[in-house]
Amino acid sequence: MDKNFQEEFTQIIKFKPPLYKQRHQFVKDLVEKYKPKKVADLGCADCSLLRMLKFCSCIEVLAGLDICANVMKEKMHTLSPLPVDYLQPSERSLTVTLHHGSVAHKDPCMLGFDLVTCIELIEHLEEPELKKFPEVVFGFMAPSIVVISTPNSEFNPLLPGVMLYRHPDHKFEWNRAQFQSWALETARCYDYSVEFTGVGHPPTGMEKAGFCTQIGVFIRKHPQTGESVQSEKPTEAVYKTVFKAVYPSLKDEKYLQNAVISEVIFTAQIIKHRLMSKHEEYGDDPERKSKFQPSMDCFSDYLGKLVVEKNMEPFISGNEVYIPLVTIFSFPKVKRLCGTFEKLCKLIAGKVTLSSDGSAVMFNIEHENEEN
Amino acid sequence: TIGLQVSSGLQDLSLRDRGGRRRDFHDLGVNTRQAMVHVQESKTGFSGRMIKLTTNHFRLTSRPQWALYQYHVGYSPEMEARRLRSALLFQHEEHIGKTHAFDGSILFLPKKLENKVTELFSRTRNGEDVKITVTLTNELPPTSPTCLQFYNIIFRRLLKMLNLQQIGRNYYNPSDPVSIPNHRLMVWLGFTSSILQYEDNIMLCADVSHKVLRGETVLDTMHSLHSQVGEERFRDTCAKELIGLIVLTKYNNRTYRIDDIDWDNNPKGTFRKSDGSEMSFVEYYKKQYNIEISDWMQPVLISQMKRKRGNIQGPVALIPELCSLTGLTDKMRNDFNMMKDLAIHTRLPPEQRQREIGRLLNYIQKDDNVQKELRNWGLSFDYKSISFTGRVVQGEKIFQSGNMFDYNPQFADWTKETRGVPLIRAVPVDSWLLIYTRRNYDVANTLLQSLFKVTPSMGIRMNKPNMIEVDDRTEAYLRVLQQRVTPDTNIVVCILSSSRKDKYDAIKKYLCTDCPIPSQCVLARTLSKPQTIMTVATKIALQMNCKMGGELWSVEIPLKQVMIVGIDCYHDTVSGKQSIAGFVASLNQTVTRWFSRCVVQTRGQELVDGIKACLQTALRNWSKWNRCLPSRIFVYRDGVGDGQLNTLVNYEVPQFLDCLKSIGTDYSPRLTVIVVKKRVGARFFAEIGGGLKNPPPGTVVDTVVTRPEWYDFFIVSQTVKNGCVAPTHYNVIYDTSQLKPDHVQRLTYKLCHMYYNWSGIIRVPAPCQYAHKLAFLVGQSIHREPNLLLSDRLYYL
Repeated sequence: MDKNFQEEFTQIIKFKPPLYKQRHQFVKDLVEKYKPKKVADLGCADCSLLRMLKFCSCIEVLAGLDICANVMKEKMHTLSPLPVDYLQPSERSLTVTLHHGSVAHKDPCMLGFDLVTCIELIEHLEEPELKKFPEVVFGFMAPSIVVISTPNSEFNPLLPGVMLYRHPDHKFEWNRAQFQSWALETARCYDYSVEFTGVGHPPTGMEKAGFCTQIGVFIRKHPQTGESVQSEKPTEAVYKTVFKAVYPSLKDEKYLQNAVISEVIFTAQIIKHRLMSKHEEYGDDPERKSKFQPSMDCFSDYLGKLVVEKNMEPFISGNEVYIPLVTIFSFPKVKRLCGTFEKLCKLIAGKVTLSSDGSAVMFNIEHENEEN
Repeated sequence: TIGLQVSSGLQDLSLRDRGGRRRDFHDLGVNTRQAMVHVQESKTGFSGRMIKLTTNHFRLTSRPQWALYQYHVGYSPEMEARRLRSALLFQHEEHIGKTHAFDGSILFLPKKLENKVTELFSRTRNGEDVKITVTLTNELPPTSPTCLQFYNIIFRRLLKMLNLQQIGRNYYNPSDPVSIPNHRLMVWLGFTSSILQYEDNIMLCADVSHKVLRGETVLDTMHSLHSQVGEERFRDTCAKELIGLIVLTKYNNRTYRIDDIDWDNNPKGTFRKSDGSEMSFVEYYKKQYNIEISDWMQPVLISQMKRKRGNIQGPVALIPELCSLTGLTDKMRNDFNMMKDLAIHTRLPPEQRQREIGRLLNYIQKDDNVQKELRNWGLSFDYKSISFTGRVVQGEKIFQSGNMFDYNPQFADWTKETRGVPLIRAVPVDSWLLIYTRRNYDVANTLLQSLFKVTPSMGIRMNKPNMIEVDDRTEAYLRVLQQRVTPDTNIVVCILSSSRKDKYDAIKKYLCTDCPIPSQCVLARTLSKPQTIMTVATKIALQMNCKMGGELWSVEIPLKQVMIVGIDCYHDTVSGKQSIAGFVASLNQTVTRWFSRCVVQTRGQELVDGIKACLQTALRNWSKWNRCLPSRIFVYRDGVGDGQLNTLVNYEVPQFLDCLKSIGTDYSPRLTVIVVKKRVGARFFAEIGGGLKNPPPGTVVDTVVTRPEWYDFFIVSQTVKNGCVAPTHYNVIYDTSQLKPDHVQRLTYKLCHMYYNWSGIIRVPAPCQYAHKLAFLVGQSIHREPNLLLSDRLYYL
């Protein structure tokens, strides 16, 4: 079921970009258009489509299914979060799961998807599997959109060396009429509409052959009535999960808290540094001190406005520097992370040293002076 | 299918690590012991008391008669694509089995096929029949270098299966990071691992590794640099801060080293894709990864690829906004507070360290997939680290002006014992300059008074200096030096008000090259605390004395007519791309005076040619001091990277021998060359009172965890306040001394007592540390060989 591998044989007709990339791009465009949150790729093979889809910011759940666990395992680790995903957790949440199983079997883990893709899948199915396929995908999974691609056999004469099928594992290859009649019947049966297109344009003069890959995009006609539909289909889990990755996300309280604490302390440190360098330079001259304005370009605007309000001014008292939380909250990055001031207070409670009334971040500067 | 990727070619079966160059990190196959007859039987010492040790090594066990079978796979007709070759071969899993490693031409199997040559037939989807011939080429015993590299590849696969993240050479656990928000740092706990043939067993050496990551992008860093230094010095500062750092990207799992910053380019700029088309960065990242670059004015980072990576070659452009920094900058390393906060998390005491390593082994033991993979290859581990006995050699006595000092060997420090005792050789300070800025007038006087208080008991005669006040500008310092330094000046002391490097560099450069006079720079801040001023003044007085050619203390060196050499390298990563080799050689019997030279090497030149010249002048100087040539030479060679041992053995050592030959036909001294390595994975823990402690200074290990093909040993010479002590590895790669291993070990340990900037035992022999200091000074500040008039003094301390 090695899609990418097929093109290596296409020696005379070279598609640019390669045909598999065109198919992936087709799916990506569809995702951009419909913005599905949950996407499943049936027959995901080496996960190359999933690898591309994980960068689509609308997707929060990504699932792959394949009958061959080994081919999935070979590259599944490339679906894991990157170190940077942990360093700068993203706003969206994302879970990627790989299942080992057959499209002829129903498993509840495939319910509730918005988009299901079957790229170069059906031609690998044996007759009995192909028969069950519509009921599983359209009847059971019943996503809003289904994309099915398969070779167009009318194009085969243009591919050198193709005797019967393009790949030894193909059980059949359909012409356009065959595919379309199967698709229309399936759509009718499960109340979907279907439109046909394809990728891989035929060479000039051979337009009659049609696309090299034919594609059917199925759209469910009626919005699903939600749980009622699913509850009618109690099914046991038959797929085996071979991989699961939960991406760090700010939606997860743990990561949000870390990010907020980090941002609060960092912001407070910047204000402290500014304050102290001014403090050192001008000594105890109160005239100069009140004119304190950080010189950092990105912050000066905010603070410039803020120092007007007396209670927001950072100050030094003895060995301690106090930076009001209100000031810190006024920094856009902090604000964006927390949303509300109350949330900020809640998230940093007990994790950041605060003044006794809890209104300001407090630093002790006694030791610092010693070491520097 | 176990889709291991092994590179083609047997001898360089590679560890295909990202970032790292393809090379043999473990110096496998460099067998130096076989040429040394006197250590064939035994390379172990005998002196000292026994100590029970455990370590971080774990035995790899395999079933009896385990072997790895290597096959060559040929295709007829010839098939080009590797994927296709694999696909065709794996159609025959019923023949070759499910466990295999194949790189397109070499196939490794855990079992032997029935026949030496197996012919298999496959059909491509074109209907083309292909004959595959699988021919046995090798039966690899578990100890063969290829097999060892193979174990390492397998083990790294296991770590990947445990969902650890690879960064650079090691694997880290991303799920439980320690965050240090004060400095915007994040620390990931991870593991280093290597599987090697040790004395009696193949073992896994696993150690805890910490990766410091920074929660900000390169663009963030640039922004804060901009606000700190302003427009004028911005680009310069960026270059200094960023070049040489390793970054991670938002979109792939690779590390890149920043080699340059292209200020004339920006994300709107275009690059040529592998298919030849031009595309802008903005467009590319949008299309490829759905990433919107928000700042279109940022410059572009350049990373030079050391080797071909897929079809990418040559420089790679990176967008600062999409890169995260890893590791520490020099500036951060100098930030005392930051390092203190980091140390809490990274300096694990022995028990905790062993516990963390145990956790890794536990993961391995508990994970079904990992266990299955190991079983398939017929491998397993001992999950308990090995224990053995080491030796603690007796402490060295310190001699100073006819006095002999004992000190607590646990602390490895004799500062208290030798305080107020006359030095072996105190150089009088008759004529000297004390330069300071107006602000530091008081500090200068305090220093002076303190120096007058501490020097008499050391036996140092000190006159009043020429006190000179200067403006706090580099040119002002230089002008004063040009005007006031006379041929009689013994030393110049400068009090600097800030740690601005340019001022320090300018002073050092002038006084090391144009006007060769020892100099001592002190930060005013260091002198500003009344409670420590006496300690500081004592240290400064000692340092000044050494810089003028004085001697502080000695240990007993039983060998006669011996010259000790130390070599270390400094690689300038930032500006010059030059490397510097520091070279020091002892001048006298007590090993208290040192001759020094250094080699400044620009790209493309071989360091060793220069080292040869250094050795020649060192011998000339030794014979001037001793009226004969040394009959024994010991070279302690530091600064040798992983995988460079072969070059050293085959190129550098012959050059040393050549050099000795060139001195005279009747001159054939005994030569010993010892490679010193500070960064090793091995850790030793002493089992004391039911717990694990750091082994005491003087612990020698020369069994079990050493390598059979080498004449090598470990010494723990220093002590550490927190964390685990790191043993130093010594590899004797050439030795005609005929000395017993015990004596070589003892001599090495003695030399660790002889570094005059620290009245205690250090990690490496003093000549290595001197050579390091010299190379560092030249590499950081002077950038050319210092004046040879200074070469018999420790002016670089």
